[in-house]
Amino acid sequence: MENIYSKLRNLAKSVRAQNLFVAVKELHGVQLFRNNFDFSKLQEIYLSFLYMYDTINRDIIVDKISEKVLDCELYEDAYMTWRRKNNKKSEKEDKSKKDVNLVVGKKINFPIKEK
Amino acid sequence: MKDRLNDAERIISEMEKENGLAKVEDLIKDNSIAFEHEGKKYRIHLLNLVEKEELDLFRRRKFGQLLKDPDILLEKDLIALYKERGEDIGEIDEQIKKLESENFGLQMKLGEAISKNDGEQIFQTYKEQIQALIVQVQVLKTQKILLLEFSLENNLLTYVAQIITYLSLDEDRGGNWIRMFKSLEDFQNHKDEELINKAAQYSMILQYI
Repeated sequence: MENIYSKLRNLAKSVRAQNLFVAVKELHGVQLFRNNFDFSKLQEIYLSFLYMYDTINRDIIVDKISEKVLDCELYEDAYMTWRRKNNKKSEKEDKSKKDVNLVVGKKINFPIKEK
Repeated sequence: MKDRLNDAERIISEMEKENGLAKVEDLIKDNSIAFEHEGKKYRIHLLNLVEKEELDLFRRRKFGQLLKDPDILLEKDLIALYKERGEDIGEIDEQIKKLESENFGLQMKLGEAISKNDGEQIFQTYKEQIQALIVQVQVLKTQKILLLEFSLENNLLTYVAQIITYLSLDEDRGGNWIRMFKSLEDFQNHKDEELINKAAQYSMILQYI
């Protein structure tokens, strides 16, 4: 039972598991597990790894990062930590930009529709 | 010849990997784990609501018992006692916190380097630094676990793990899964330790890890 996390990771990382995960997301009626609720801790952890590798693979496909990231678990974790933090930062920036547009009293000049 | 040997080694290693993955797949295909022991079939299932209530009852009863025992100290009292003797667990916690924060900083730098594709040499440097920190944290955490091994909280956790195993172990009787033990006493007096240990491992990874 040693390294169960590592084994779950390897399974979630495999091409077969990732293909199945994509199918589950896109096709109605395809299931990952026999049960659809009451997930075990093990299943929950596996699901989070599936999401993690799905994100990494999508970033590789759009050339955001190189495949090198998949060379070691430490690289994968570090990239995901950095990515999460960066996403939060950009979400905050987006929100503050929107807030500026919502300042009360700010005059907005809508273009007049020509008749 | 050498190429053939390399190919054979690669194929064997791939087969072993596949085999290992198939075993893990077996553990997650549903929310129970079936296994064999000495030719008989057993299963660990997730606790249902009634069993969870039963577990809670056992836990509360045991907590009351442990509180009355003068030989068992609460974690906070044990920590105070250690401090009097010159062993500061608070200090260990502080060190862990500091190292984990350092680790987080390095992870962010490595993550950024990966996003910029800065190159293997830079990745490797960060990797080694992070690995060194992980080892230091593990040493400190093990030290803390050993110091608090006999705390009331730890006693209770061990007991709860035992009760979960007792409540979740089923045996196959003619194709039906039946709860193996009728009472905690039966479970505690059961002779086959190997079966109980196996069941305990599976029940922990299924609902606890």
